[in-house]
Amino acid sequence: MSLSKLTLIESLDGLKAGKFTSLELTKDCLDQIESYDEKIKIFITVTKDLAIKQAKEADIIISKEGEKAFLKKPLLGIPYVCKDNFSTKGIQTTAGSNILKGYIPPFESTVTKKLKEAGAILLGKTNMDAFAHGSTTENSDFLKTKNPWNVNKVPGGSSGGSAAAVASDMCIFAIGSETAGSIRLPASWCGVTGLKPSYGRVSRYGVAAMASSTDSPGVLSKTVEDSAYVLNIIAGRDSNDATSSHLPVDNYFSDLNDLKTKDKTKFDIKKLKIGKPKSYFNLEFEKGVEEKIEEAIEAYKKLGVKIIEIDLLNPKYSIAVYTILQRSEVSSNLGRYDGIRYGNDRTNFGFEAKKRVMLGTYTLSSGYYDAYYSKAQKVRTVIVEDFKKAFSKVDLIIGPTVPCLAMNFGESEKSSMFGELIDVLAEPSSIAGLCGINVPCGFVNNLPVGFQLMGEMGKESLMLSAADKYQQVTNYHKERPKL
Amino acid sequence: MGMLSLSVEEVKKIAKLSKMDVHGEEEKFAELFTDTLIKIQDLNEIDTKNISETFQVTGLTNIFQENSKENINSLNGNSLTKEEALSNSKETTKGLFTTKGVFIKEEDVS
Repeated sequence: MSLSKLTLIESLDGLKAGKFTSLELTKDCLDQIESYDEKIKIFITVTKDLAIKQAKEADIIISKEGEKAFLKKPLLGIPYVCKDNFSTKGIQTTAGSNILKGYIPPFESTVTKKLKEAGAILLGKTNMDAFAHGSTTENSDFLKTKNPWNVNKVPGGSSGGSAAAVASDMCIFAIGSETAGSIRLPASWCGVTGLKPSYGRVSRYGVAAMASSTDSPGVLSKTVEDSAYVLNIIAGRDSNDATSSHLPVDNYFSDLNDLKTKDKTKFDIKKLKIGKPKSYFNLEFEKGVEEKIEEAIEAYKKLGVKIIEIDLLNPKYSIAVYTILQRSEVSSNLGRYDGIRYGNDRTNFGFEAKKRVMLGTYTLSSGYYDAYYSKAQKVRTVIVEDFKKAFSKVDLIIGPTVPCLAMNFGESEKSSMFGELIDVLAEPSSIAGLCGINVPCGFVNNLPVGFQLMGEMGKESLMLSAADKYQQVTNYHKERPKL
Repeated sequence: MGMLSLSVEEVKKIAKLSKMDVHGEEEKFAELFTDTLIKIQDLNEIDTKNISETFQVTGLTNIFQENSKENINSLNGNSLTKEEALSNSKETTKGLFTTKGVFIKEEDVS
């Protein structure tokens, strides 16, 4: 078996026990990339030589210090991939756009810096919708990434490259980012675990900005346990990101098995109350998808979880709120690309960026600000309060991640707001800054389906524990596509 | 809510304001923007009287960097050298970024 198929926790155990070296693990991932990337088209940049060099260095440390080395470097020798909107010093970072083609950042993002310091090995930078504008990864200026389960389908986006890399076993874990759905949606369509932490939990420093008030870096992985382990390393306050959270960082990984709830009793799944919002199920589902979500809910009931029907605002309002605030923030954030200090000039912007920047310029402009931007931010308050009310009754909320299966190429061009419509079930929680996670829960027509759990800001531990319990009694997350 | 359609003229104006080249695509954008403006009318169904805006969800205010010697000297080690800062620019002049002219003669304004 190729070592690249291992989960993060299995890889760490193997490295610690000396069953294999980091070089072997890294080479197996690179072999997988070499064998299948031509077909799936995931990588904008592969950092092969650097990865091999770092793996050899990791092996020297492991052979000298043994298991102790992992106390200081909890990801020592672990190969990962990163979405191409994270600044990596000395390594091309394009954000999937021709604007940044050839751009070599002189600085490192906080996330990749923390991973590097923890000993992780970067294998390459993954494809994405240009500037994360999209939900299929088709809007990349460089590649059309395929869904590893069916190459005629899109992987979802905008972190489509990272999701496909995990599903194809080209890495041990992947880093992505989500503004509203960009981790959870591709994770769902590629059949992997996708964690969007609460807004501010993980620093945005060095991530090409899309909508600054909801951008959240996160993890795509083979298991919930793996996501929790990586979150431990990348979470936390960062003086380079003034919006990063001051809330204490939990030990997400050890909490999975030993979570102290509010009343200081151990995490007991039987005491958990999960809300099922009627409005998230009152949608047009693609045939078979709703049944899979209901099966997951049944599995939770069997575990002893109390499922409570709750009322949440119709998610359609979030589409409008998100469209306005995202386009407004995009118009401001993309103002920096002038082609003078770095990158190429503004004629290199693709259609989608033009569309978003221009509408955002309009909604922020004098005379329309109150009608659009201000109104949307007021409705955002209503959405935030709506969730607060729900969380006074339940610990977590469950729903479909997306009501349909991975789509064919070209579908996204059929609507002026495709991404906003397809991400309808991720937008409310993103707007409110909540945490969310996609968990694989079955297959329809040999395409993966996922459900999502959503938790209050800063309640990642509780959410991850509940998601992990589901993976302990199911095997959907272990299924892999035949490449 | 504002207007429910955007004209080609307005698209041209927005394009100029946002420095985007939309030559030949003006009508397509006008159509798309009109469609989007109609779809986001949903917001009018929600009463927002006496409700304030949520511009950010963290509740954090007045966050400053610590005024330590280290920060002043190096911005947490993230400040760039001149060479690094200029390393991605297409054109430099005497160790500075070269920009297009900012001021133009009046007769050049069309």
